Amino acid sequence: MLPSGLPARAPAREPVRVESIQLVKIGPFPEGLAEDLAARLSRRVPAPCQVRASPLDVEVPWLPDRQEQVDADALLRRLEAEPVDDGAILVGVTSLDLAVPIFTFVFGRARHDGRAALVSLARLRPEFYGLPADAALTARRTVAEILHELGHVGGLRHCDDGSCLLRFAASVETVDLRGSSVCSACEAMLPAGLRRGGPG
Amino acid sequence: MTTAVAAKSNLKILVVDDEAIVRESLGGWFREDGHSVDTAEDARQALHRLAANRYDIALVDIKMPGMDGLELQARMAAASPDLTIIIMTAYATVESAVRALKAGAYDYVTKPFDPDELSHLIHRAAEHRSLKAENIRLKENIEVITTPSPIIGSSPAIRRVMDLVGTVSATDATVLITGESGTGKELVARAIHAGSARRYNPLVVVNCGALAEGILESELFGHEQGAFTGARYRRKGKFEAADGGTIFLDEVGDVSPRVQVDLLRVLEEKTVTRLGGNTPIPVDFRVVAATNRDLHGMVRSGEFREELYWRLNVFVIDIPPLRARREDIPLLAEHFLARFSQAMNRKDMRLSPEALEALQAYAWPGNVRELQNAVERAVVVGSPPLIEVKDLPVRVTGHPAGPGPSSLAECERTHIESVLSSTGWNISQGARVLGVDRVTLYNKIRKYDLKKPADVA
Repeated sequence: MLPSGLPARAPAREPVRVESIQLVKIGPFPEGLAEDLAARLSRRVPAPCQVRASPLDVEVPWLPDRQEQVDADALLRRLEAEPVDDGAILVGVTSLDLAVPIFTFVFGRARHDGRAALVSLARLRPEFYGLPADAALTARRTVAEILHELGHVGGLRHCDDGSCLLRFAASVETVDLRGSSVCSACEAMLPAGLRRGGPG
Repeated sequence: MTTAVAAKSNLKILVVDDEAIVRESLGGWFREDGHSVDTAEDARQALHRLAANRYDIALVDIKMPGMDGLELQARMAAASPDLTIIIMTAYATVESAVRALKAGAYDYVTKPFDPDELSHLIHRAAEHRSLKAENIRLKENIEVITTPSPIIGSSPAIRRVMDLVGTVSATDATVLITGESGTGKELVARAIHAGSARRYNPLVVVNCGALAEGILESELFGHEQGAFTGARYRRKGKFEAADGGTIFLDEVGDVSPRVQVDLLRVLEEKTVTRLGGNTPIPVDFRVVAATNRDLHGMVRSGEFREELYWRLNVFVIDIPPLRARREDIPLLAEHFLARFSQAMNRKDMRLSPEALEALQAYAWPGNVRELQNAVERAVVVGSPPLIEVKDLPVRVTGHPAGPGPSSLAECERTHIESVLSSTGWNISQGARVLGVDRVTLYNKIRKYDLKKPADVA
């Protein structure tokens, strides 16, 4: 995400309140997957997770000169402009391939201490790499990626701990290699609504 | 965002690009991973930042208004030779990439960046820097290790020795060092090796006088498995160990006639055949030999092979005895005093004028080594800050304190007791002063039933 001016690994000055998480579909999305992701997320964080009934109704900001890639920053800005209840975090999920002008792709995007996160399935699917489809693996990776981006929303930076979910991943191999949960140091800095032991 | 640099080390990175989006995105990306980032929008700003800060890595756009990235790269490299520069291009052209790499860039990367590729690139650059730094450190360490103790002295005699060392070091000539025992022949050999192009290769020291004939042969030339009883493994000899470096044959005058023949063959042919082996092994070595004996006289008396003598007698450095350069005694004494007082944590010790006078008056048959031992002893037994005449060995001052003991055993007992008393019954220090190992000293203490006084902690 763009520079936020926060010191490394510092929590937000005012901890972000996370009272609920709302998944919102962007563009064509596999039937039933958003509900599956919400159910999986509900088992991982205290904040209740729901799927918004209506997908995000915006014109997709395609990146010029790229093969069907969406400008992740522009899309995140539009997502952040959506009206939400106080304490709710919007998580846009899409099958579209995300990128930013300077990088060939991104798995997801979020702003430190922001109100929204964005995650793409495109490069989390085994099919992207010529492998057989595996819906469960795709769902697991997507949930992990959503939690990673929610960590950034919660004010956390990347973590050096190789087994921490907040570890940086530039490839799907690293997405699989890093752990499925955050390390204890990151856990302690997460907003209560995202902390395993925190109040919902 | 999920992308950032995998390298764990905290790097200081400068991003130079005229596009704000590139500066902001890369800056955020690197900061996300704990690196410190500065950005510059043009060459002028980049050079300004470089003048004020130290950076590990600079990412420089190849196309910028004004000074382009390649020219900026050259300026940056000149201003900060340690800087690792990575060139960024919007479209990779072979020529620009080759020019950048030829001009010393570490690598180049094409926009838009593949996050994985950029991450690996930064990680590799960090590793590269760390290896370079380690290499420099190791080289410095080697310089320290390979730099021998300095040859101390200002007398014309020792200055001539230094001049000869300086002259011969850079050549690959065989050197014969002559001089009495304790004059510092090994020190001169080390100085020759350290001043030669072979200095990063081994200097192998062989004390030919200390080894029996059979053992010396095996030591010098190595042996094959089963070459003799007890040769259970193949073993390389000292000549092979000195490959690329220097072999120092100390006390070469003590080599037996049989080994002299083998030695001559190795020196002439520059090949070694291990004992029990048939294959000559080519070896690249330089020979520095030393002796305290009159080799020429030994040749005349038939004790030393003439061919070997002439093979060794290419460039001779004769080290004068200490008594022939008395003016160097104060310098040497001060040098040893500084070294031992620091090593024994007895700082700021100095020699009294009387002690210095006694040192200068003595004949020093054991030469510099004897002086070194005398100063070491004085540092141990002396009471800081002054070393007095009484702290010097009796043979130096010629004034034994009081009536001496009658028998040799009594003499030994008294001396050990005195040294232990002066070292506060510190066994290691006492053993060092007496020139014996700790076990021997313990045995002597038991033998003479010496008891540590109650008032010694």
